[in-house]
Amino acid sequence: MTHIVVLNSRSHATLRVHAAASAQYGDNQRFVPVVVSEFAPLALHYPILLSKDAETGEFYCGAMLGFDDAENLFLQEHKTLDAYRPLNLQRGPFYTSGSDLAIDLDHPRVAPSGEQALFEESGEPTPYLQSISALMRTLTPGAEQTKVFIAALLALKLVESVSIDAQFDDGSRRDVTGLYTIDRDVLRDLPDEAVVVLFRLGYLQLIHHLLASLNHVSALAQKKNRQFLPGASRAP
Amino acid sequence: MQAGFSVTLVESPTVPIIGVGEGTWPTLRSSLQKMGVSETEFFRECNASFKQGARFAGWTTGAADDGYYHPLMLPQGFTQVNLAPHWLGNGSGRTFCETVCPQGQLCDDGLAPKMITTPEYEAVANYAYHLDAGKFAGFLQRHCTAKLGVRHVLADVTNVNQAQDGDIRSIETRQSGEIAGDLFVDCTGFAALLLGKTLGVGFRDCSDVLFCDAALALQVPYETPDAPMASHTISTAQAAGWIWDIGLPTRRGTGYVYSTRHCSDDQAHQTLMRYVGPQHAHLTPRRIAIRAGHRETFWKHNCVAVGLAAGFLEPLESSAIVLIELSAKLIAEQLPANREVMDIVAARFNDVGHYRWGRIIDFLKLHYVLTQRTDSVFWRDNVDPATIPERLKNLLLLWKYQSPWFFDEFDRLEEVFPAASYQYVLYGMGFRTEVAREDNAATESLAARLVRENVAVTRRMRAELPKNRDLMRKIFEYGLQTL
Repeated sequence: MTHIVVLNSRSHATLRVHAAASAQYGDNQRFVPVVVSEFAPLALHYPILLSKDAETGEFYCGAMLGFDDAENLFLQEHKTLDAYRPLNLQRGPFYTSGSDLAIDLDHPRVAPSGEQALFEESGEPTPYLQSISALMRTLTPGAEQTKVFIAALLALKLVESVSIDAQFDDGSRRDVTGLYTIDRDVLRDLPDEAVVVLFRLGYLQLIHHLLASLNHVSALAQKKNRQFLPGASRAP
Repeated sequence: MQAGFSVTLVESPTVPIIGVGEGTWPTLRSSLQKMGVSETEFFRECNASFKQGARFAGWTTGAADDGYYHPLMLPQGFTQVNLAPHWLGNGSGRTFCETVCPQGQLCDDGLAPKMITTPEYEAVANYAYHLDAGKFAGFLQRHCTAKLGVRHVLADVTNVNQAQDGDIRSIETRQSGEIAGDLFVDCTGFAALLLGKTLGVGFRDCSDVLFCDAALALQVPYETPDAPMASHTISTAQAAGWIWDIGLPTRRGTGYVYSTRHCSDDQAHQTLMRYVGPQHAHLTPRRIAIRAGHRETFWKHNCVAVGLAAGFLEPLESSAIVLIELSAKLIAEQLPANREVMDIVAARFNDVGHYRWGRIIDFLKLHYVLTQRTDSVFWRDNVDPATIPERLKNLLLLWKYQSPWFFDEFDRLEEVFPAASYQYVLYGMGFRTEVAREDNAATESLAARLVRENVAVTRRMRAELPKNRDLMRKIFEYGLQTL
């Protein structure tokens, strides 16, 4: 259940939020939606791929964080902030409603024991809430920009499905399907004028982030493999 | 066009299209895809929906619970083993269809054959379409003229000019003068203006086999816009024929196909109105005459007939559009390079054409000869041996001892109805093939495994597939992806 309300300093003066990365607060996601404006930092850590929304069939971009359902192999690193944490995880219980910030009061992160207050006693937003507002100013238009980017990829037939088949040291296999990336052959054969358009829009850079990020798939598999090392404790 | 030929479509602005015929075969998926049609646009513009086969109600005994499915999925492992003798030998109490394929249960549950994430033209469960034939004709015409370079001329043909050797040289039109051509495709419908009237090719009537010669068609609105929509054609046997019931997104199409030798138009009208219910009593059905049969030859000189000009049969198994597709495909793939080789291609076309029409007539008749109904003259007449084609008679005899399967009878590359279709109808209607237990021994364990697999596949599909109506709504709202 969600209970989303517009945030204001009077009604929510004492509201507190757990901001830290934790499986119990919903960071246990295998594939988290991302926006084009965070591709550069994302591409340093994660495979960025396309997938289809189960409800609409429409493509979206996401960072791959694990192989199994509810598996985020980066949770420890997010706690220590070693890896960039995708905006959709950072946002926690927050939404936007028009130009206003909104919050899901039923989100497990919203609790009196939360380490972050939202408002100062003066009613001013805390630095934490200000950082959330800044994040939302990237995330909300970012979602629209990402849609437009994906539409451009599809129009040029630059998207192809990719199957990730990983074998682990415990003998198990994962065949992750429903993922898509850039079709290198189509990219190579693009007519010059299309390349120039992609370049001017900044899309060529994004395409290269997508392609380069695929190298992280094997690192991700190794990360999972370390769980199977003798004496290794399972990541939470 | 780059192909070294051009296509001109001459369409009469005064002759309306027949506009019924709302069922298709899965072949239409590949046909549309090959033509470069977007499936999403097709769904939206042709008021199209999914078809996962047909349910035949009341054909065997006429009892309230009498019904079986002819699904579009092949039985599990159809190329490896024939499950029919195993099903016959085991007497599990489950129907043949539900034993060998999931699709009947998907239809019972009102499920769609795919998901919103399944790409265009790809299927989870094999499917064809129901569509609005009038809208489909306009849609194809726009696609062919805007994207495939077909020239479209709106004109009425007034005269056909022939050369000394009998070839058609040109047609004269009221609005656009004379139009010459190398090959003429006669799509003039029942009139068969070129092949029939001009070239004198006769019509082979088959009403002695298939009695239905009229239809009353009626479009029925849904009770509510989000009412459940069947993803299969429902064909319900009546005293003198059968009623089709096809769910399109915005309405149902129904119609009573009947034999005027066995029932009057008034009786037919009453039967149809009883079927659709008193809430639709104010609607008026449209009457369509059916002349069951086909041209004696389909390609003569430089003229080939496609569609109703080639022939027509009652729409019991949606054979009309699939025959158009197969004919168009053959013409396109074997388009004669010159007049000299045209007769060779024509002979092939005629050979294939006769085979296909013959098999369709046999297959349609199969639905009638297996009936146990004796409650009306129509059904009693239908089992009269004098009305059953020889080839079908022989097959029925053979099938008493061996069940139809992959390689033995229906061996054409593009068989309209594969052996699986015969299995679904035969065993759906209670036909028994004698099975010797020892003949099954060698494939017993493989067959058992496939039947178990079918249970698992059925369970999985029922869990993941959305309701037919819900998927249609999403296709209209979001569209399907191309990959």
